[in-house]
Amino acid sequence: MADTRTGRHAAAAGSSSSGISALTQSPANLECKDFQEYLRTRQTPETLEKLYNYPPICLAVFRELPEIARQFIIRILFVDQPVPQAVVSSWGAQRCAKEQTDATSCLTALNVWRVTAIPGGLSAWELSPTFKKSVRQVLLGGGKPWPMTNTLEKDSKPRDINFLDTYAMSRWRCVLHYMVGTGSRNGAETEAISPDAVRILLHANLMKRDERDGITITRQGFQFLLLDTRAQVWHFMLHYLDTCEERGMPLPECLSMLFQLSFSTLGRDYSSEGMNKQMLDFLQHLREFGLVYQRKRKEGRFYPTRLALNVTSKEAAVAATLTTDEEGVQESGYIVVETNYRVYAYTDSPLQVAVLGLFTELLYRFPNLVVGVLTRDSVRQALRGGITAEQIVSYLEQYAHPNMRLVESAIQSKSCLPPTVVDQIKLWEMERNRFTYTEGVVYNQFLSQNDFVTLRDYAQSIHVLVWQNERTRTMVVQKNGHDDVKRYWKKYSKSGG
Amino acid sequence: MGPPKKSKKDRSGGEKFAKKRREDEAYAQLVDESETNDSVDATESDGVPGAASKNAETNDEQINTDEYGAKDYRAQMQLRQDHGNRPLWVAPNGHVFLESFSPVYKHAHDFLIAISEPVCRPEHIHEYKLTAYSLYAAVSVGLQTHDIIEYLKRLSKTSIPEGILEFIRLCTLSYGKVKLVLKHNKYFIESPHPEVLQKLLKDPVIQKCRLIRSEGEGFIQGTMDGKAITQFGTKLPPASGADKPPEDPNAAAPGAADGATVVPEDITDFYEKIDKEEEDEDEANLKTVSFEVAQEKIEVIQKRCIEIEHPLLAEYDFRNDTNNPDINIDLKPAAVLRPYQEKSLRKMFGNGRARSGVIVLPCGAGKSLVGVTACCTVRKRALVLCNSGVSVEQWKQQFKMWSTADDSMICRFTSEAKDKPMGCGILVTTYSMITHTQKRSWEAEQTMRWLQEQEWGIMVLDEVHTIPAKMFRRVLTIVQSHCKLGLTATLLREDDKIADLNFLIGPKLYEANWLELQKKGFIARVQCAEVWCPMSPEFYREYLTTKTSKKMLLYVMNPSKFRSCQFLIKYHEQRGDKTIVFSDNVFALKHYAIKMNKPFIYGPTSQNERIQILQNFKFNSKVNTIFVSKVADTSFDLPEANVLIQISSHGGSRRQEAQRLGRILRAKKGAIAEEYNAFFYTLVSQDTMEMSYSRKRQRFLVNQGYSYKVITHLKGMDTDSDLLYGTHDEQAQLLQLVLSASDLDCEDEKVPGEPGYRPGGSGGTTKRTGGLSSMSGGDDAVYYEHRRKNVGSVHPLFKKFRG
Repeated sequence: MADTRTGRHAAAAGSSSSGISALTQSPANLECKDFQEYLRTRQTPETLEKLYNYPPICLAVFRELPEIARQFIIRILFVDQPVPQAVVSSWGAQRCAKEQTDATSCLTALNVWRVTAIPGGLSAWELSPTFKKSVRQVLLGGGKPWPMTNTLEKDSKPRDINFLDTYAMSRWRCVLHYMVGTGSRNGAETEAISPDAVRILLHANLMKRDERDGITITRQGFQFLLLDTRAQVWHFMLHYLDTCEERGMPLPECLSMLFQLSFSTLGRDYSSEGMNKQMLDFLQHLREFGLVYQRKRKEGRFYPTRLALNVTSKEAAVAATLTTDEEGVQESGYIVVETNYRVYAYTDSPLQVAVLGLFTELLYRFPNLVVGVLTRDSVRQALRGGITAEQIVSYLEQYAHPNMRLVESAIQSKSCLPPTVVDQIKLWEMERNRFTYTEGVVYNQFLSQNDFVTLRDYAQSIHVLVWQNERTRTMVVQKNGHDDVKRYWKKYSKSGG
Repeated sequence: MGPPKKSKKDRSGGEKFAKKRREDEAYAQLVDESETNDSVDATESDGVPGAASKNAETNDEQINTDEYGAKDYRAQMQLRQDHGNRPLWVAPNGHVFLESFSPVYKHAHDFLIAISEPVCRPEHIHEYKLTAYSLYAAVSVGLQTHDIIEYLKRLSKTSIPEGILEFIRLCTLSYGKVKLVLKHNKYFIESPHPEVLQKLLKDPVIQKCRLIRSEGEGFIQGTMDGKAITQFGTKLPPASGADKPPEDPNAAAPGAADGATVVPEDITDFYEKIDKEEEDEDEANLKTVSFEVAQEKIEVIQKRCIEIEHPLLAEYDFRNDTNNPDINIDLKPAAVLRPYQEKSLRKMFGNGRARSGVIVLPCGAGKSLVGVTACCTVRKRALVLCNSGVSVEQWKQQFKMWSTADDSMICRFTSEAKDKPMGCGILVTTYSMITHTQKRSWEAEQTMRWLQEQEWGIMVLDEVHTIPAKMFRRVLTIVQSHCKLGLTATLLREDDKIADLNFLIGPKLYEANWLELQKKGFIARVQCAEVWCPMSPEFYREYLTTKTSKKMLLYVMNPSKFRSCQFLIKYHEQRGDKTIVFSDNVFALKHYAIKMNKPFIYGPTSQNERIQILQNFKFNSKVNTIFVSKVADTSFDLPEANVLIQISSHGGSRRQEAQRLGRILRAKKGAIAEEYNAFFYTLVSQDTMEMSYSRKRQRFLVNQGYSYKVITHLKGMDTDSDLLYGTHDEQAQLLQLVLSASDLDCEDEKVPGEPGYRPGGSGGTTKRTGGLSSMSGGDDAVYYEHRRKNVGSVHPLFKKFRG
């Protein structure tokens, strides 16, 4: 009887095969979730229900929904009875069926609506009552007054948007500097970050304690550095929220406040009056990360910054980066990538140099310039560290020197990097994945050559044979062909034996 | 750079000096008896001054590296306040980085070209390197130590490291101070610095060479005379606006138009000053002193001066040379010089005399016109040396095309064509003809004797980088010429012997920027691509197990490479392109060509057949593709070709790659400059040594700003059933063929002048009658439209990330 084992089989280069995911992907990569995903994966229906008690959260959820889903909600928001599913699906044209299903499943997953039976045996959609109530409140007003809405007398020294932007970025950079371990060295310009922030970094697995009880950055940490600022803040805040319960802060309230901040106006001051102790603590943390500006700890006045405003909305983020581009070219575009793989970075910031050092071989450092080169080794080292080619490319693109965008080829194509360099970085990544994997089942220990040949020929005839060796009487069939082959073998051995 | 470093250098210099001293006596004896030419088989390092071995590269060895392994220069220099307006950084190891987008780029660029070697010149930031040679070249075209340092200081964003200043001083102080001038048929050692001449005369060897006509004669006082020659040749209609470099208005325009970018005043001031100085140099009536030297001792004195670190710059005052008759040759009115050609010639004839040196222009950028113009300017007997019979013909063509020279004036001297030399003004020959040591025919013997007796006005050395220093020395001992002009596209050799040329011929006078010429449409816009051909499993198995020489044949004969090649040829023939396919390996060359039914040229192909094939390629619309071996690497002028496919090449030779690219660089008529109008494919067998070779080969061109696109898959190739070697059986047959090939087949073709070449025949090129292969060429089949795309660069993983 042939002995079968399930396992994977790495095919020799050249023969056809395809993949086991667990092996090709490195196990611990940075996961970036958007808000919806966060709600869907982290929260149970019960907690979701609790969150929906807070109008700002509901508004944020509503804004993040697909367009069709928002249509649905608006249409049934003021209908006080369940709406038959057939009615809802009749609202969209046939050609948008896919989008419609997506929207429907999205609403279901977020527990915004649920299926109920209505008289007549039809199933119908019914909005979650709390969600409904909160959204109505957002739209029509009413309910408890939101915090932050208390009026304030005019600030004698109001802060303008430029100030807030620089402030926010400098605060946020403290966190990043801490991560690459450059903060303490140039002590003067940066301040240390609080133990709370460190705890979050540890929790988020962006940093870890090493043997000597020092704290070092992890590979996820490096990937984190390659994200754009908005994504960084969002990722960081998610982990903050994960840990806020431990700190005795209720998650719904924090989340609600975060969103409320994101709905506020840049450059306006708000009052912290009426906030409870936990919320004031939360505000202090936000202040530390640069999401809000407050002159003094005890002052009842604060300004939300761009970081807070961009926390949720994707479109806003784009707009914001555009404006900062114009304001601070120095800030955003400092890297020149040449067709000969040279990288010139106009910077002396230890943070930027550290990030560049992840995937380039640095050659020279001048007072305001770093010269490096992208080599196969340097890029492969980054790839080994779990950074993807796409991340490298997008980082270089994001911080490309304004002159790079003026080149003729950059105008024609959407990327401002030399196409050959982009291709090459991707090829370097691909060459690490030359092995392809096929899940399969090994058949061996055939008693006779005849048995082997018969079974092999059968497997070949139904195109499931991956590999065979006549001398050792071993063959591998695809996993999905296993049942067929097994059945055939049973039939064959019964009739033959 | 710290003080201990410096003293070490001095010491080593001193030792060298002492050693030279000891050799002196021996040398003096040698010289006396060595008017016979053969004994001058000197060692390679001979004829190169000690200072040339100085290297700024090691200046930064003591500099700390930062945590990323980069050299940290931040402690070495201070950033200047207005650094935004200044375009360059100078590293302590002599590397200079220049922003090409700076408003003062134009100024800085001209300056850097004069004083340093370009390392890489891509789009945005260029890298240059200060070397002893480049500084030597700088002083020889008239820049002063003080000016170099001052201007560098003004252009730099930071303060200049002291080590570099020291280096510049070391390399420039003694160089370029003395000139060897031929005036009124007498040789003079001339210098604007009397103290230098005093020093020279203290040297016993030089003393012996001095020619004193009357007792107690002092230095001859004189002034640098002559007016700037801005017009080359004696072309009848004056070259339009030749007095003013045409790019000057351009340079001024951006500064004026763009008020936002402020050019620091000191930069512009200084630039103007230097600019003026260059032009006025001749009118400046520089006081010079000189003494006369005996003509027969010229070589001795040249050598001696190099040894005592005062290399003589050879200048030829051809206007005042009445000894040698003028030849009657002028440029035709139709010959118009492009700005960069004019610039390069301006460097050569800057002060009304002819300087010796090397001009570096990309292939196809009109090197020959520069050569012809130089000859027409000097108007003395000219000798042109090139490296193959075919290019001898092409040089003759060039002379007839651009100048008024006719057949009677131009004499060819090759193994196949020996025109009567007497009475002609221009002799075109090959290096191997001149240096040939075996017995010659009577006729050739006569010509050689004549050639040796002549005093040549100018010697043009084509493709000067290809000849080994030894061969070159032989040429110099055989031929007497007043000035030497080297022409080349790539001043680089894998063995780095190129530096010697600086002192054998002269400094590099000019080097063009490829990317700029391309942008202006003077040379073709080339799309370079590296096509990855996966090794078939059977071939790869053999590749892994066999010995080295067979390995090469296996990856060249890789069936998927063959198919890619065939596919590309078909694709381009159908576009109406003219394609050249290069293969160093003759076995592969023949196999490919015969299988595809195309004509081919390699070493044994006779001169006549070569010319016939080339003519057909030029004019016959049925012959769109030819296969050539490395004999066509240089100086085969094929202006029609715009596609080049390389199937096998000589290891990691950067020069070969550049030379081959040069075959298709000639600007295409009526082409739009924005589009690629030429294609350069390198077929590489995946996972073999070829991959790493290919990387190495590309370095030079990549540094010139070219970029190679990697094509992992040619779209449409799988579905094309006309391609050969599609089936397993055919591939197996091919494999058998490869395995049964002899070892000789595995080797690259040897070409004269290369280390592995064993001269066997009588002439420079071996002659055997090659089989006249089918000339039918592109069979007219029905072709399909294929569109190639770089497939496979988008990994599914990335898509996931975007979403």
